[in-house]
Amino acid sequence: MFGPRLDGGQGTIIRPPTREDYDTFVTWQLVPEVTRFWGPRFISRTPAETEERFKKDGESQTSISWSIAYQEETVGFTGLFDIDWVSRDGETGIFIGRHELYGKGIASEAVRLRMAYIWNELGLRRTHNWIALPNRGSWRANQKSGYAQIGTYPRSWFRSGEWVDEWLGEAFPHTFPKGNLPPPWRDDSSRGK
Amino acid sequence: MAVGGIIKGKRVTLRTPTEDDLGAYNRWMADMRVRHLARVWHEPAMPTTWKERLTEQTKDRDSVLWSIESEGALIGMVRIQFGWDNRQRAWIDQCVIDPTRWRKGLASDAMLALHRYLFDYLDLQRVNTTVRADNAAACRIADRLGYSEFAHGHEVFYRDGAYVDEIWLMMERATWDERWPKEREYQPMGNATTPPRSGPD
Repeated sequence: MFGPRLDGGQGTIIRPPTREDYDTFVTWQLVPEVTRFWGPRFISRTPAETEERFKKDGESQTSISWSIAYQEETVGFTGLFDIDWVSRDGETGIFIGRHELYGKGIASEAVRLRMAYIWNELGLRRTHNWIALPNRGSWRANQKSGYAQIGTYPRSWFRSGEWVDEWLGEAFPHTFPKGNLPPPWRDDSSRGK
Repeated sequence: MAVGGIIKGKRVTLRTPTEDDLGAYNRWMADMRVRHLARVWHEPAMPTTWKERLTEQTKDRDSVLWSIESEGALIGMVRIQFGWDNRQRAWIDQCVIDPTRWRKGLASDAMLALHRYLFDYLDLQRVNTTVRADNAAACRIADRLGYSEFAHGHEVFYRDGAYVDEIWLMMERATWDERWPKEREYQPMGNATTPPRSGPD
């Protein structure tokens, strides 16, 4: 399924993806600046298969997908995948496809919105993820919303003559910083009364 | 790929799964003893659904499924999944032994044979798996084979009224070579690979 629109700070929102977003996602995965820690940088998906993927993701009962927008422009995607509704666990992921926007806190804000939704609307009790260890921006964004490291997968990626390890993390509702709740779960209108 | 060929252990044989096996698959997936120990491949379903699943598996280029036999009887199934970006690595995704055959060393034999195939025939460089922390038999087999832990997830699976941890394991090719140097798919041929001369001396 696609996730609902959630508005964060500094112009960052997560919102249901559009069909056009899926075309953009494909092009990002072919760009060297944003694939250092992502996939093989080739793709075998036809436009018809992209259409099918869009439809499947929208119908999925075990995943939730969002586009990330910054100042109303789609700049990445995030989601929750392989949801186990019995154990109430799922794997999260995030991808920022516009490298010139790195360092602006967009990923941190998208993760905050995503995790707040997972804990407050889905009733999940655990999430987990994998992040390339040198991708500090990504795992720090996840740490700020309660992720903690549970292990390291050695030599996961080979890039430019060196092996890159991967950071494995997990998060629980009680590890989400209480003061970080975004609206609508934090009701600003009642503050100060 | 997709459905596996024959791999011989000492007491078990991994072989190509057939539609005749699917009734047993369904029974195992419905067995609470199995479900308490591992995530099931698929939920129990109608025979036609199982046939569709086997067809899909046969077409899948990223995973391989085998049935396991012992003394001519179907006793289990095993499935591997190749790494999504690295075909030299694989994950043991499923290993189910019929509960009536537990504690006879059959899973251990099947796993040794499978790993011999993965390292000595497919030339994989690493094999990974996950086990539930209370699955003592799986932990023992993994330890014997040479797996080491690289991560530990807390309270991951809900079963039997409580949560159980998940242990992430991996084994490198070097570990396999060191621990199991005599496990070979075929006897080495040495230098006896020169074609015989056809004419008289």
